[in-house]
Amino acid sequence: MRTDRYRLAVGGVLGAQAALLLWNAWHYSWLRGYDAYANDRYAAVVAGQYRLPSAEESGVWHTPPLWFAAAGALRRASTALGWAPAQRPGQLLAAAAGIAIAVLVLLLARELWPERHLLHVTALGLVALCPALVRASAMYHPETLAVALATAGVLVAVRGLRRGWTPWSAVGAGALLGLAALTRGWALPVLAAVALAATVDAWTRRKLAAPALLVLTAVALQLPWLVNQQLAHDSALAFNRPAPEESILARRPASFYLGPRTLRVFDHPVTPLFRNELVPHLYADWWGDWALTWNSPPPPAPSELLPSYVVSDRVRQMFVGFVPSVLALAGVLALGAVAVARRSAALAVLPLTAAAVAVAYLVFAVAYPSTDGDTIKGTYLLAALPAGAIGAAFVVDALWPHGRAWSAALVGALTLFAAVQLPFLVL
Amino acid sequence: MAGRGLTDSRAARLGLIAAAVVVAAQLGVGAAWSLTHDDPSLLQLTRRCLEREKGFAVEETTGDPVAGSARGGTLRAIVEGGLVTLSIANGTGEVERLRAAYAAKGDPGPRLDVHGRYVALWLRPPTRGQRQHTYDCAY
Repeated sequence: MRTDRYRLAVGGVLGAQAALLLWNAWHYSWLRGYDAYANDRYAAVVAGQYRLPSAEESGVWHTPPLWFAAAGALRRASTALGWAPAQRPGQLLAAAAGIAIAVLVLLLARELWPERHLLHVTALGLVALCPALVRASAMYHPETLAVALATAGVLVAVRGLRRGWTPWSAVGAGALLGLAALTRGWALPVLAAVALAATVDAWTRRKLAAPALLVLTAVALQLPWLVNQQLAHDSALAFNRPAPEESILARRPASFYLGPRTLRVFDHPVTPLFRNELVPHLYADWWGDWALTWNSPPPPAPSELLPSYVVSDRVRQMFVGFVPSVLALAGVLALGAVAVARRSAALAVLPLTAAAVAVAYLVFAVAYPSTDGDTIKGTYLLAALPAGAIGAAFVVDALWPHGRAWSAALVGALTLFAAVQLPFLVL
Repeated sequence: MAGRGLTDSRAARLGLIAAAVVVAAQLGVGAAWSLTHDDPSLLQLTRRCLEREKGFAVEETTGDPVAGSARGGTLRAIVEGGLVTLSIANGTGEVERLRAAYAAKGDPGPRLDVHGRYVALWLRPPTRGQRQHTYDCAY
């Protein structure tokens, strides 16, 4: 791909994504996002009383405080300025983090394969058009900030692994990953994956200072929060409900693991169908909006059936998402294989983060079953998005025929991928 | 990056094959289920949700000709102590017909609750929590 066209494509995708996320954040009711009211209570307590909320004050007391501190400060400022709703700046913060994730994924792809422009554009396009990211970026919610900080930490770590660590890069990666974990618990598996890759690499070189600095920095940032949770709630990783006492293997039925109604995602991918069937439930929520918190009437008006577009939009999303999902899975596996074959810790970071996030999420979803399925959400897995998008782009770039016409065809396919999704993604 | 035995294209092909196997297995489970199980009706799904997921008592509706005329079927449940008759309509027109038929017997006020294709007649005005339970089991 020629440099000027490459720049045009990257600029175009980033500009369009920024416009989309800011537009959505501006038009999305803050109260419709996940845990919106509890998030607002938390932000108000942290920013107004400079303390953590109790379990009675906010249902999300178990979430680390960084985003709430920032959103709470913005909330106070907007209240002082008379700007309503006071939660809007928090939504814009989530949108800004969503834009940052796309930029960081682009930089990650460039760091790993500097010359492969088609791969960069494909990865960027897949992130920008990820429905789970688009939805999370409109919510009054900490998820996107955590993913942005974690991805920034991964980028610094990959750069350190490829070009050689400096004390500052090790501390920087640790600080970013520590701040990510101080925003959302889902960053912890990312931190563990990066620490593992860095340690294995350092072990072979007999230079353990960099991973030690990285881990110490991250732990130093995270430790006060974990100690507080341990002392206040008897568990450093406390959740807002107790886990059942039965064996972890008995907490979910076989249907949770097998997903027998998987094919129903292609005809009715909304609540409550295939609730608590892990794969179809997650797939429907990642590519669509299983719980109906996005662009459907809030809630369906009395005496009216669910508008037909609500289901048809989501059905279309299920078909649109099929090929990218297969490519993402293939890409993560391929990157893992390449990393092992070439003994490249830098390449191993992404598949390791995807695997760590997936395993952590599976353990969480099994440990805390819920009848209404509220522990199964696509946005919980956003920390694996950089690995999935770059992995998919790697597969496409490796197998797609090269040449001017083929590059144009791929850009055309990405444009079509965007056009088909726009009715769902734009509020 | 220079290859060391495993080229990018070979890795990508291997990844695609592995991913295809995983996806095919998942779709195979879904297909096998679909072939061996009839899709339950909305009424069956709602009954199962109320009984198994919510733990409420569910029984057949008796003595309610309006509910009995609902094309999607009807059931009666005790939701947190509140008796409710749920009727499932097949479209907006039938929802209105059921609503009008209940209203013709005297204004039910907040005892009558319509949610999508579900028409609920409560014995007493429901609490928000009781209503939410029936919404959770509406398909």
